[in-house]
Amino acid sequence: MDLSLTKSQLMIQKNMRKFATEVLDEWANVLDRESKPLPDEIVNEMGRLNIWGIQAPVEHGGAGLDTVSYAIVIEELSRVSGSIGLGVTVHNSVCLAPLLKFGTPEQIERYAPDLASGRKIGGFTVTEPQAGSDAASIQTTAVLDGDHYVLNGQKAFVTNGGIGDLFLTAASVDLKKKIRGIAIFIVEKSMNGFEVGKIEDMMGMRGNMVSELFFNNVSVPKGNVLGTPEEGFKISMQTLDIGRIGIAAQALGIGTAAYEAAAAYAMKRTQFDRPIGTFQAISFMLADMKTHLDASRLLIYRAADLKDRGLPYSTESAMCKLYASTTAMQVCLKALQIFGGYGYVKDLPVERFFRDAKITEIYEGTSEVMKIIIGNEIIKEFSRF
Amino acid sequence: MLSIIVCIKQVPDTQKALFDPKTGIIGRNCADNIMNPDDLHAIEMALSIKDMYGAKITTITMGPPQAVDVLNEAYALGVDNCVLISDPRFAGSDSLITSKVLSRAITRLGPFDIIITGCEAIDGNTAHVGFQLSEFLTIPLLTQIHNFQINSGHAIIERLYGHEYQKIQVRLPLLLAISKNTNRVRIPRLYELKTCTDRKIHMMTMDDIGGSDQEYGTAGSPTVVVDTEIFSHKREREVFAGDCSEKADMLIHKLKKHNILKY
Repeated sequence: MDLSLTKSQLMIQKNMRKFATEVLDEWANVLDRESKPLPDEIVNEMGRLNIWGIQAPVEHGGAGLDTVSYAIVIEELSRVSGSIGLGVTVHNSVCLAPLLKFGTPEQIERYAPDLASGRKIGGFTVTEPQAGSDAASIQTTAVLDGDHYVLNGQKAFVTNGGIGDLFLTAASVDLKKKIRGIAIFIVEKSMNGFEVGKIEDMMGMRGNMVSELFFNNVSVPKGNVLGTPEEGFKISMQTLDIGRIGIAAQALGIGTAAYEAAAAYAMKRTQFDRPIGTFQAISFMLADMKTHLDASRLLIYRAADLKDRGLPYSTESAMCKLYASTTAMQVCLKALQIFGGYGYVKDLPVERFFRDAKITEIYEGTSEVMKIIIGNEIIKEFSRF
Repeated sequence: MLSIIVCIKQVPDTQKALFDPKTGIIGRNCADNIMNPDDLHAIEMALSIKDMYGAKITTITMGPPQAVDVLNEAYALGVDNCVLISDPRFAGSDSLITSKVLSRAITRLGPFDIIITGCEAIDGNTAHVGFQLSEFLTIPLLTQIHNFQINSGHAIIERLYGHEYQKIQVRLPLLLAISKNTNRVRIPRLYELKTCTDRKIHMMTMDDIGGSDQEYGTAGSPTVVVDTEIFSHKREREVFAGDCSEKADMLIHKLKKHNILKY
């Protein structure tokens, strides 16, 4: 058993850290404070670097990386900016990945190159004002009218909503069928009746234009159904399995940034004539932070590795997301405590890490939903005996 | 199409390396090995010339087998070919012999238009190789490059010259020695980072280069490092007492004593 990264993965880690530090870092605070997206020139440079098509095959303009490498990229970007990590992971893992996995050759040829290059930014939307964890209760409808479906409804908390060009959208073709009535549609921003609603004024992740989306008689060609109309819920659940590895890696990046900042500060900050990091109370906090972050990283790599080997990874994906997001929140809480008053002011990034970390326990399935997934697996396993 | 050869070196990361003041040696096992920082800028120079005029870039390094890592990095950045000159018989070569090996290897690789090196390496800091290589190959060497263009087989070069810029027209082939202030090194694409370790590295040994054992390695090297010390400077504070005129006299006396003021 070898837990070390390959030469390529180490080079990816080193270069993504360099890019994040040299190019993205100066934007992290600006995006947060002014609640605005990355400028086009940075989005384009990220396209050149394959960041919008991390795992997409080379023939579609991506880098064709394995999932461990994908997690490394997301961790490195998120160490500098949770918002940027969020935009990238959602675009890659819950828009481009399901398109490539479930799309027809025509759909892939039409949409994948633009997404993989970052010429178009994507999102994935199931959540509605009344349908969060209970995804089966969505009210957005799709009615077949000749060779088109007509979509009506409203989506909430859509990551990349304000800047996205293309959204995989869950809508019900038959509300009575509940789960079995859900289909996934490829909806373009340019389609008539599609409207971006309010950009949310959020506690964290303020550099991502999370928004409402409205569908008012949006006419979507039948050819834009992803998979079959009956497969929508299955596609959603499998998509979220992929997405959770990305969100876990994002949480890991935020937590690692908070830990490293706190450790460096603890050895620099002197009180009672010695660095506060040499007090056991502080060094124990740092020891906990480092241990839980490393455990998160290993859980993430395991889920990613299972996915790459084509083995079931749904439970492991939920476990790494649950653990990494809980860890990120706890680590940020401790980091803020170590920084004391300086951690509570906006001059330093720790309070941003803290605000950004919280949402990782909520989106892409709450921690409670992760426990349902893991718990169901345990029930299944042990009810055999 | 232009043929560009970039000479690079793998060095210990001296920011992380532990220096043993007793032996005068950098503990290489304690440090990560990296591409010499100036050499990254030399590769970037080659890539920018390729972007402007089209070129085939070959990167060459002399070192132990693990030096292949810096060649992988060169591939990731976008060079076309990589050559590793590795032979135990070259071990202990000083800068002159390194330049001799490089020049002979370059000659065997075929015609070239531009050779690019970094200005100096962070492990030895001799800054010899660019100069020696240009002597062995009998081609002009230019340093402190600010701007580079090619026009009808000539290079038009702007370079820093004291506090001024100098514009020079030079015939190809030539050698450029690049420092880290010249450009900003691009970040490789993820695809190149993934595939760079699978690319072919062309190997060369003494048998490919020619010459005898006695010409190379410690035996052939005219220079030996006899001592290395950690460079340090101490700041001392001294407060002069007296009125302004007395303080000024004391200051002048002090500056003259240390040869800072001569008259």
